[in-house]
Amino acid sequence: MSGFRANLRVVGQLGRRSIRQTFRRPQLAAPLVVFPTILLAIQTAGAGRAVDLPQFPEVNGFLDFMLAGAMMQACMLAGNTGAIALALDIEMGFDDRLLAAPVSRYSLLLGRLMGTAVMGLLIAAWFIVIGLIFGVEFQSGILGVAWIFGCVATTAVAFGAIAASIALRTGKASVVQGLFPLIFVVLFLSTAFFPDNLMLQPAASIAKYNPLSFVVDGMREPIISGFSGSHTLRALVSMAGLLLIGFTLSTFALKSRLKRG
Amino acid sequence: MPAIETHDLEREFEGSVKAVDGVDLAVQAGEIYGFLGPNGAGKTTTVRILTTLLQPTGGRAIVAGHDVATDPGSVRRAIGVALQEAALDPLMTGRELLDLQATLHGIPSSKRTALSIDLLERVGLTEAADRQVGTYSGGMRRRIDLASALVHAPEVLFLDEPTTGLDPVSRQAIWNEVERLNDEGTTVFLTTQYLEEADQLADRVGIISSGKIVAEGTPAELKSQVGSPHLEIAVEGGTEAAVSAEEALGEFGKILPPKDGRLQVEIAGGAGDISPVVRALDERGIAVASLELVRPTLDDVFVDKTGEHLEGSTTDPEPE
Amino acid sequence: MSASSISASLPVIRSLVGRSMNELFRVPGAAIPGVLAPTIFFLGLTAVFGNLALLPGFEADKYQSFIIPVSLMQGAAFTGAATGVNLARDIEQGWFDRLLASPAPRPVILAGLVYSASLRALIPGSVVICVGLAIGVRWPGFLGLLVATVMIMGLAATAATWGATLAFKFKTQSAAPLMQAGTLLAVLTTTAYAPLPLLTGWLKVVATYNPLTQVLEAVRQGFVGDVSWADTWPGLVALIGIWVFFTFLALRGMRKMTA
Repeated sequence: MSGFRANLRVVGQLGRRSIRQTFRRPQLAAPLVVFPTILLAIQTAGAGRAVDLPQFPEVNGFLDFMLAGAMMQACMLAGNTGAIALALDIEMGFDDRLLAAPVSRYSLLLGRLMGTAVMGLLIAAWFIVIGLIFGVEFQSGILGVAWIFGCVATTAVAFGAIAASIALRTGKASVVQGLFPLIFVVLFLSTAFFPDNLMLQPAASIAKYNPLSFVVDGMREPIISGFSGSHTLRALVSMAGLLLIGFTLSTFALKSRLKRG
Repeated sequence: MPAIETHDLEREFEGSVKAVDGVDLAVQAGEIYGFLGPNGAGKTTTVRILTTLLQPTGGRAIVAGHDVATDPGSVRRAIGVALQEAALDPLMTGRELLDLQATLHGIPSSKRTALSIDLLERVGLTEAADRQVGTYSGGMRRRIDLASALVHAPEVLFLDEPTTGLDPVSRQAIWNEVERLNDEGTTVFLTTQYLEEADQLADRVGIISSGKIVAEGTPAELKSQVGSPHLEIAVEGGTEAAVSAEEALGEFGKILPPKDGRLQVEIAGGAGDISPVVRALDERGIAVASLELVRPTLDDVFVDKTGEHLEGSTTDPEPE
Repeated sequence: MSASSISASLPVIRSLVGRSMNELFRVPGAAIPGVLAPTIFFLGLTAVFGNLALLPGFEADKYQSFIIPVSLMQGAAFTGAATGVNLARDIEQGWFDRLLASPAPRPVILAGLVYSASLRALIPGSVVICVGLAIGVRWPGFLGLLVATVMIMGLAATAATWGATLAFKFKTQSAAPLMQAGTLLAVLTTTAYAPLPLLTGWLKVVATYNPLTQVLEAVRQGFVGDVSWADTWPGLVALIGIWVFFTFLALRGMRKMTA
C-alpha cells in the first residue's frame, strides 16, 4: 500500500511538473490555446453563413457548432505538446534520472498524462468561458458542461498516450513535432469543423466513420441540442477505444525503451 | 600612429551597469596585444566596441585610423574578426564560407577562387575545403574562422578567445599562425583566458577588471612588478640547520618569509644561481631535501592586480 | 544608390541567398514542413467548407478555386516568417555578427534575407498550384499566374521583413510563434473564407481595412475570373506599403543591434 501511495505521489509531482513546463515555455503553451482560439474566431466569422446552407443542423449560431471542434483541436495539440516535452526529457537525459528513481516506471508515463489531463480541463474551461461570453447556450446545462470537461480531458489523455508512444520509441522531439500536420489531417477528415453531410467527397465518407467524429459529435450534442443516447454512447465507446489504443501503444513503447536501455 | 587607440572608453548598459569604464588603450601597429580578464570584466564588450558591433556610450575609439562611432564602415574594411564561439554555419563548406566572406568584403569574383585556395592551404584545410563545416573538429572550425578573418588581408586582427576549449595540438597550430601573421605585419588584438597564451604570444598585455584596465605592460614588466625569481628550499635537520642555511642564503639575495616550512630567497641570476647556492649549503654540511626555482607568472600578476585567479588559467590556483 | 554600388551589392545578395538555399538542399526534408502546412490546409479547407460555394453571392464556381490563393499566401507568409526564425537563430548563435562586422551595407544584408524568402516562397506556391490544378482549380491563365507569383514573392519578402523586425527586437528563436502567428492572423483576417458580403461580425470590419485583403483579391482574380489592372493595383500598392513599413522597422532594428 505504501508503494502505491509513493507512486501516486510521483504521478502527482510529475503531473505538476508537466503543467509548469507547459506554462513556462511560451512556445509550448501558445499553440494550445492561441492557435485554436484564433482559428475558431476566424472560421466562425469567415464561414458563419454556412448555417444558411440547406441540411445544416439547427443551431443558434455557427460558434455553437464550432466550439466542440476547437476544443477537440486544442486537446489533440495538448496531447502532442505533452509528448514533445517527454521527448525533450529523453533528449536531455532527464528521463534517465526519473527511470533511475525507485518508483514504478509506469508512474512516469502516468505523471505526464495526468498533466495532459489537467491541460485538457483547462482547455475545456477556456473554450466554455469563450462560448458563454459570445452567447453560446449549452442546451444540456451543467450536466452537459461536466460531460464536455470529461470528454476533453479523456481525449487529451488518449492522444497524449498515442503521441507519447512515438516519443518513447523515437526519443526525438522533432519527430513528435512532425505530428502537427497529421493532427490537422485527422481533424479535417472529421466533423470537427463541419457536418459530414455537407463536406465534399471523399472527406465526407471518411468523416462519417472517423471515431474522432463520434467524439466531437458527442461533445457537440449537449451544446446545440441536448444529449441524445446514440451520440453519447458512440462518443463513450470511441473514447474508450482511443484510450485503449493509446495506453497499449505507450505501454509497449515504454517496455521497449526500458529493454533497449 | 597606434593601430588601436581608445580614450576614456565607456559602455553603459541599461540599469547603469558600466561594462567598460574609462578604458585607455594604445596598441601599436605590428604589435600582438593580449587582453586578459575574467568573465564579465568587460573584455568582450571592449572587443565588440572596437569591431563596431557595439557603440560606445562615452569616450573614443580609433581603429586603423578610423573612429568606430563616426566611421564604422572604414573600420570594418580594415579589420578582421574571429569572434569567441566561432560563429560558423554548419551547412556551408569551408570554401563557401571563405567565398561568402570575400564577397562581403567586396573582393571581385575573379580573385575569390585563388584567394580561397591560398587561405585554405595556409590554415591546413585544403583537403576539408568542400566538406560542410558541421563535420569539422573544434580546431578545424577555429582555423577556418581565422582564415575567414583574413580574406581581405586586414591591418588589424581581432581574435576573441581563439583557442578556448582546444586541445594542445590545435592550440599550438593557432599560435603558430598568429605569430606568422604578426611577422607579416598584422596587428593582433587577442583576448584570452589562458595566461600561457598571453605569455607566449603577446608583446604587451592589458588586464581588465570591472571594466577598468588595472595593469598593462610586457609580460616581463608585469611579472617583475610582483616579484623576482626566488628559490624555495627545504633543508633536513632541525632549527639549527635552518638558521645556518638562512645565513648562507643571505649571501645570494634578499631572504623572504618562510613558506610552509621552506626557506625562500630571491635570486637575481635565475637558474644560474642554483649551483652556487647548493654548493654553499653543502659546504656548511646542510642536506637539501627539496629545491625549487619559482618565477612569477602572469597569474601572480593577475592575483596581485585583481585579487582573483583568472578563470581557465593554465596555472593551478594556489590553495586558499 | 549609384549603379556601381548596386552592382557591388549583387554578389553579396547572391551569396546570402545561396546560403539560405543550403538549408533546403542540404538538410533532408527541410522543405517539407513549409510545403505540407499550406497543402494540408488547402485540401482540408476545400473538403470541409467546399459547399460554401453554394451560398448565394459566392463569386467562384468551386470553393477550391476560391480558397487556393489563401494557401498560396499562407505558404508565402510562413516562408517569410521562417526567414525571421532563421535570422533569430543566426543572431543567437553569433553568425549574424560576422555580417555586421563586415563592410557590406546594412540594407544589402537585409535584401539578401528578403530576396531569399521571395525565392523560397516559390516552392510551396508551386506545390499548392499543382495540387490545386489536380483537384480542379480553375486555370488562372498566364497573366493570372504571373500576378499571383509576383504577389506571393512580394508577400514572402514582406513577411520576412516582419520576421526580421521581431528577430532584431527579441534576438531569440523563442519569438518564432509570434512571427508565425502574426503572419497567419494577417492572412486569415481577410476575405480568406468567403467574399466580403458573406463575412460576419468583427471579421467583416477587419477584412475591409486589412490591406492584405487587397493582396488576396489580386492573387485570387485569375482563379475566379478575369485579370484586370483595377483588381491588381490595389494589391500592389498595399503590398509595397506594408513592405516599406516593415523594411524601415527592420533596418532600424538592425541599426539598434549595434547601438
